[in-house]
Amino acid sequence: MCEANVYLSRSGQEELLMEGVDRIVPGDDNSIFLESIFGERRVVKARIKEMELVRHRIVLEEIQDVEVKPHQELWLEPDTNHGHFHPGEEARMKLFKGFNMRPDEAASMEEVEGFVMVNGRLQEASLHKHHDVMEMDLGQELDGLAQIYVHQKGDTELYATAVMEVGHHHHHGLQPLGLPLEIVPLDYSHARLGENYGLQVLKDGRPLAGAEVKATFAATQSRDYPHRLKTDEEGKCRLFLTARGNYLFSVTDGNITTTYTLIKSF
Amino acid sequence: MCKNMPPLELAIQFHGHICPGLLMGVRVAEFAQQYLDVSPDQDEELLAVVETNSCGVDAIQSILGCTFGKGNLIFKDYGKSVYTIASREKNRAVRIVQKYQAQPHPDNARYRELNRREALTEAEAAEKENLLASIFERIMTTPFEEMFSWREVDFALPEKAQIYPTVQCSICGEGVMEPRAIMNGQLYVCPTCA
Repeated sequence: MCEANVYLSRSGQEELLMEGVDRIVPGDDNSIFLESIFGERRVVKARIKEMELVRHRIVLEEIQDVEVKPHQELWLEPDTNHGHFHPGEEARMKLFKGFNMRPDEAASMEEVEGFVMVNGRLQEASLHKHHDVMEMDLGQELDGLAQIYVHQKGDTELYATAVMEVGHHHHHGLQPLGLPLEIVPLDYSHARLGENYGLQVLKDGRPLAGAEVKATFAATQSRDYPHRLKTDEEGKCRLFLTARGNYLFSVTDGNITTTYTLIKSF
Repeated sequence: MCKNMPPLELAIQFHGHICPGLLMGVRVAEFAQQYLDVSPDQDEELLAVVETNSCGVDAIQSILGCTFGKGNLIFKDYGKSVYTIASREKNRAVRIVQKYQAQPHPDNARYRELNRREALTEAEAAEKENLLASIFERIMTTPFEEMFSWREVDFALPEKAQIYPTVQCSICGEGVMEPRAIMNGQLYVCPTCA
């Protein structure tokens, strides 16, 4: 027997939290992920207080409402709830800064640059504020898969990327943008609820193994990212999509944080 | 709508939210469609007999098109997660039974416990969301035969649903389908007034 029972110490009292735990992964935000041999999974805000390995007993101490100021990230969302634009329609993206798809309205949006690549051609796209929200106009001329990214320089380099479908049936032909840190969808056309969605993380164009990719969605009830994935040796990871609407993936390496918005048509 | 909505999305849109019961119904509807090799119903080519009125039935209605309004959804109030789907064109029917404790995972019990509560703390709401995500993945990826059994059955398909004339109740004045009206001498009386 290698698994352990995990107890949570709360105000001096210990209570059994989970039996048969075989995997414990501490997060970087005072969270601890637990998984049991029965497949039960749970995330708690706690720190490890004691590990009695001979007795197969691990005691966690609850951390009460500790406000951890999360790092900030940029992300893009389409200005449509339709999931795609039609040729001739004004294609527009919105840019946000904050954490876990929760905008921090006080965050600085200075010196942000926007770019769009369609059919291998990269061009600059202007950003402007409209009703206190940064917007990026892509015009009415686009037809195809538009790969969009925004860059903000600073102590932490922030990148936000997204793939926007303009017109129908443009599902293939994605190329990496060539960013220092990039999340590339493996198969854009299969982004359906109830199916796996695969990603690859590239650092300077090469697969980044062992990177933590956080994933969230607009309607999440979690203050922190609800999903944490780990890239394999090929820099790949996957998420089973269980929420409607758009997903956001975020990865940090060194002083670079890059996000990728998965825009689902449904 | 400029793109066909995938079956799972159709079911969620119809039902209003995602829940384990609905997802079990999605698996049943998709299996039945594949097993019988049929398209979603347009005009009573399919017929469903459901032995429950729980969430999963909404997946049958939205994905297979067997609906209460069209009359090709027959409800038998047995409280059993059993679905018989029949095709007029193929002259075949399959009876699909959800196995007892098809999802015995501890997540399900915890999810039900949280779902029963009227108010949740922020942490509990997040926990419920995480549990649903795990349950969702498990239901959609578990082999069908682990959760359900099925067999082809002889099934005498009834005639297509009829449209009956409406007559007026002599007491309340409201219209009532003729076969449901009760004759009081020469006068029609609706079941509410009778």
